[in-house]
Amino acid sequence: MEQQFRVVGNSVPRSCSKAKVTGEIKFAADIKLDNSLVLKTKRSDQPHALIRSINVEKALAVEGVRSVFTARDIPGKNLLGIINKDQPLLAEDRVRSLADAVALVVADTEEAAERGAAAVEVEYQELEAVFDPVEALKEGAVQVHEKGNLLSCRKVVKGDVEAAFTSAYSVIEKEYTTSSIEHNYIEPDAGAGYVDENGCLVIYASTQNPHYDHKEVVGLLGVADDEVRIIQATTGGGFGSKLDLNVQGFIGLALYHLKCPVRYVYSREEAYLATAKRHPFVIRVKTATDKDGRFIALQMRAVCNTGAYGSYGMAVASRSAVHATGPYAIENVDVDVKCVYTNQTFCGAMRGFGAPQMALAHESQMDLHAQALGLDPLAIRRINGLRAGQTSATGQLLTASVGFQDCLDAVAPYYEDAKENWLSAPTDPFKRRGIGIGGMWYGIGNTGVQNPSTARVEMSPEGKVTVFTGCADIGQGSTTILAQITAEVLGLGHDDITMVVGDTGCTTNAGATSASRQTYISGNAVKDGAEKLANVLLTEAVDRLRAPKNSLHFVDGHVAVSIAPEIRVSVAKLAKRIHDKGGTLSWQGFFDPETVPLDPETGEGVPYATYAYACHMAQVEVDVLTGEVDVKRIVAAHDVGHALHPGNVVGQICGGVAMGVGFALMEEFEPGKTESMKDYHVPTVSDVPEVVPIIIESPEPSGPFGAKGVGEPALIPTAPAIINGISSALNKRIYDLPANLERVIEASIQAGHFRVQE
Amino acid sequence: MSKIAYIKPDSVGDAIEILADKGSSAAIIAGGTDVMVDLRSGEITPEYLVDISRLEELKGIRMENDELVIGAGVTLSEIYNSDLLAEYAPALKKSAYNFASAQIRNIATIGGNVAHCSPCGDTIPPLVIHEAEVLLSGKDGQKRIPIEQVATGPYRSFLEPHELITAFVLKPRKAAFADFKKIGRRKDLAISRLSMAVMIDKSDDGTISFMRFSLGACTPTPHRMIPVEEFMVGKKPTEKLLFEGGRLLAESMIEITGRRPSIIYKEPAVQGLFVRMLHPVVN
Amino acid sequence: MDKESVRIEFTVNNKEVALDIPADATALHVLREMLSLTGTKEGCGIGECGACTIVVDGKAVNSCLMLGAQLDGRMVTTVEGLATESGLHPLQEKFMEGHAVQCGFCTPGLLMSSHALLEEKENPTRAEIEKAIAGNICRCTGYQQVITSIETAVSERLDGENR
Repeated sequence: MEQQFRVVGNSVPRSCSKAKVTGEIKFAADIKLDNSLVLKTKRSDQPHALIRSINVEKALAVEGVRSVFTARDIPGKNLLGIINKDQPLLAEDRVRSLADAVALVVADTEEAAERGAAAVEVEYQELEAVFDPVEALKEGAVQVHEKGNLLSCRKVVKGDVEAAFTSAYSVIEKEYTTSSIEHNYIEPDAGAGYVDENGCLVIYASTQNPHYDHKEVVGLLGVADDEVRIIQATTGGGFGSKLDLNVQGFIGLALYHLKCPVRYVYSREEAYLATAKRHPFVIRVKTATDKDGRFIALQMRAVCNTGAYGSYGMAVASRSAVHATGPYAIENVDVDVKCVYTNQTFCGAMRGFGAPQMALAHESQMDLHAQALGLDPLAIRRINGLRAGQTSATGQLLTASVGFQDCLDAVAPYYEDAKENWLSAPTDPFKRRGIGIGGMWYGIGNTGVQNPSTARVEMSPEGKVTVFTGCADIGQGSTTILAQITAEVLGLGHDDITMVVGDTGCTTNAGATSASRQTYISGNAVKDGAEKLANVLLTEAVDRLRAPKNSLHFVDGHVAVSIAPEIRVSVAKLAKRIHDKGGTLSWQGFFDPETVPLDPETGEGVPYATYAYACHMAQVEVDVLTGEVDVKRIVAAHDVGHALHPGNVVGQICGGVAMGVGFALMEEFEPGKTESMKDYHVPTVSDVPEVVPIIIESPEPSGPFGAKGVGEPALIPTAPAIINGISSALNKRIYDLPANLERVIEASIQAGHFRVQE
Repeated sequence: MSKIAYIKPDSVGDAIEILADKGSSAAIIAGGTDVMVDLRSGEITPEYLVDISRLEELKGIRMENDELVIGAGVTLSEIYNSDLLAEYAPALKKSAYNFASAQIRNIATIGGNVAHCSPCGDTIPPLVIHEAEVLLSGKDGQKRIPIEQVATGPYRSFLEPHELITAFVLKPRKAAFADFKKIGRRKDLAISRLSMAVMIDKSDDGTISFMRFSLGACTPTPHRMIPVEEFMVGKKPTEKLLFEGGRLLAESMIEITGRRPSIIYKEPAVQGLFVRMLHPVVN
Repeated sequence: MDKESVRIEFTVNNKEVALDIPADATALHVLREMLSLTGTKEGCGIGECGACTIVVDGKAVNSCLMLGAQLDGRMVTTVEGLATESGLHPLQEKFMEGHAVQCGFCTPGLLMSSHALLEEKENPTRAEIEKAIAGNICRCTGYQQVITSIETAVSERLDGENR
């Protein structure tokens, strides 16, 4: 791509970074509203039970307690959910998990609220509970919801797998499992609210989607749209879990009844107990190759446990089915992914939406086949890796920006060097080294459904530009990138753009900060708005500069004639003229990626407009005596289309790798047991290896300046690369995540590296 | 609303008087890193917090009459930075290196680590191999008890509510080989899944002439493993011997704990870590 | 002597303060809720994340594990005290330039841990830097840009001194 850019492609200073390093920035828990009351919920202490009665009298008698609300106090619809509505804000007649809230206590202080919540008396009739999703699907299983335990099923079917298995050279069938994962953003969920002079309920929240929050709170309270305003507070990470309502509904309910300021800050313990987790999967997969190592068939039956509520579960099932093949062309595919209710803590979105779980399966199978055929792991991926012109399992023709082979090529020299110089280098007699490769693809945006974004780009008569976007920046840097895109279009500096972000009082819906979609989709929406504004400015300039529109361009706050840049007029002057003539300087941008809904039986369709690709290489050292794994280095090549902010892209890659290390080796959320950060292990700096980030730019024609996304892709290949590295080091495969001390030492013993004395 | 009172005694004597008066309704803040966690979780509900974190009497690391004396109020950071300990109790110094985090090492004390009676307390195995004695002050005066007697079980202390650990008295030793190792679920900020401390000297003929070994985090209270020491002493350390010693260690551990679920990992891992730790001694 | 409220006097960010606090209040609570120094964050409340790290008498500590009463007589620095009238602290600048800040919630803690290190050591090694921040969990950055930013601050300080 020879096109020259001035602003995009540069790692400009990130928005708010100064306020973040000085401590001035206000996260939700830092917002101080005068005379604010404190909220606390009484949560279920039963995984599954009917509620016989709720007695709030003793709670109300606690000194400092102002009010206690139950489901009966909800004026609107007490049913929440991003995709399907099945989760009450406050339980009505039954609780389905330990996370379920039963009553909301409002008090003067945290202590009073806590004592009040403890004093709420709930009489339960215990019900049998089901925690295993496979059990939950069996006939006669306890029903978590009346409609049954099967929330959804996504099938992707193409060709004839049975015929392919019959004719195949090599067939391998295995089962994989992954653990439930806690997002563990460092900022526990929090919010605050007040009622403004117009009677509008104003709620500050730590959130990934303020416009969704708005819709839910409006529905919950049964009020008009303009009676609720959600303002995204500076948000300390989300990784998917802040897509669900956390405190917003409770704050809304208290404001509705009490009309005075309230705040609700989850303790870490409550955030662990009450917020969504990553879906654990059980994946049974059978794959076949011909004698050259070409994959000819993939059959998969997978079950994911969504716990008590749907949240993003249907999307996880859908995306995982579509991503089951990995970034490989396979002619015969038969995938069935079921999403199942149980009485576990509910699972929702988490970085990758099922794709990381799938990647464990497809990348392990890839290595197993390579081993069976005596092929090099990189070589078998080259043979099967998607190329432009090929068709995916859903029948989608991939036309452009298919950079998977480029990612493999970028990793290759590191791989060859590591094999030659590192793998066999002298090491401790009881440590073994391994190199693992992990590949991935990731569809940008939601799966086969509309998921538009909008934005407004405005210029004042003085020429100052403001972008209004509902796009929540949760730390990944979207605000900076959207400013860069606007500045690029209008010939301004990124810091000339004022960004108004995530305030339903003045921004329009940009959809969720999820699915790695904001750069691509909201980037395009902002670009659309900016281009519409640019168009009227150029039209005005034609008149001023007496030159045709296509000869003009924006430069340094001016419109100039391309071949004679000294002939120019300032954007401010043009804005004033348009304004004075009654023209509009405020333009709404829109973008919705072109997708085709998936056929319910075959999965045929176009789930995403574009895909990101990546390949990671892990160098691991395994202590065969103790089961400890030391990840020495991750080389991470990512096709991001066009890196609009390379510093951000590198940040996403390094952060994704760290999360991938946790997913691979140590993270496992056990509902009822994992209570605080003492019980859950997130990688420290000492656990995270050196990362070599490699940015591959295979421009996406429909992307803003060629960009795609990188947020989730960064995480996906890491765990499979590490697992493949451990397997190669031990010559023994681990099929279950995390590959913790217990599993690694067991593999080491089984492989005969450590003969335990009997 | 707070129902807890804060008391900051001016001396050990003062502290003991307060503790004697308040009995089990008082919690002692030395570093506070365990007490504050237990307060938050509701694990403990004291009426008084007795802050001894600034008592000078509890500070300092020194040699006294060929004994190595470590004040109970010495922090883990001070332990790690002590030249005296580097020379005479290097395994203890090493145990401070991977102890929790820098922030915690800066305030957590060795006295608190021992008094908390966690089976996983990292300073305990090194204290055990130095046959440390614990100096207690109480309303009945001073006492000296062996380190292994402080905990009677997980989080259960032999100490009376009016008693305070004031110091540890170690047998200093410049052993030819000394080490502390632990395994956690991650490389830092980890609670020990298992830990061990060792000191070894060899004779001129290469046989082990002296050995002290302690296992942590595997048994209800950390233990010196005398059968393992006896097995190893007098023998030439070979890889084979280490595996055999490791086996004996695992057996001794299981004898104490029985076959609990965690044994599936710990049985091989104690052997593995034993071999890993002692391997440098092989020739 | 025993009472449920405690009078403390200490220096925070070069300002002397005196106040009465609840006996069981954490140092974190005193800073955030009583002195409105909300730059210091609560991430876990039990010393497992480092977001609440402050520097007390030159040492990095978790303010969630310290009683407010223990601040009495101490010199305390929080993230709000890093910058001076002449501008940002070099660590703050390097964190910004080096893209070490994403969501920013762990940032104050990371800054305070690395600040304590740089006050103690002239030229810390990479291993020493890692050890100093191993008690600070960051879920966004994967630490690499954080380490690089601290290294840059160190090397620029050394260059400045050698010039």
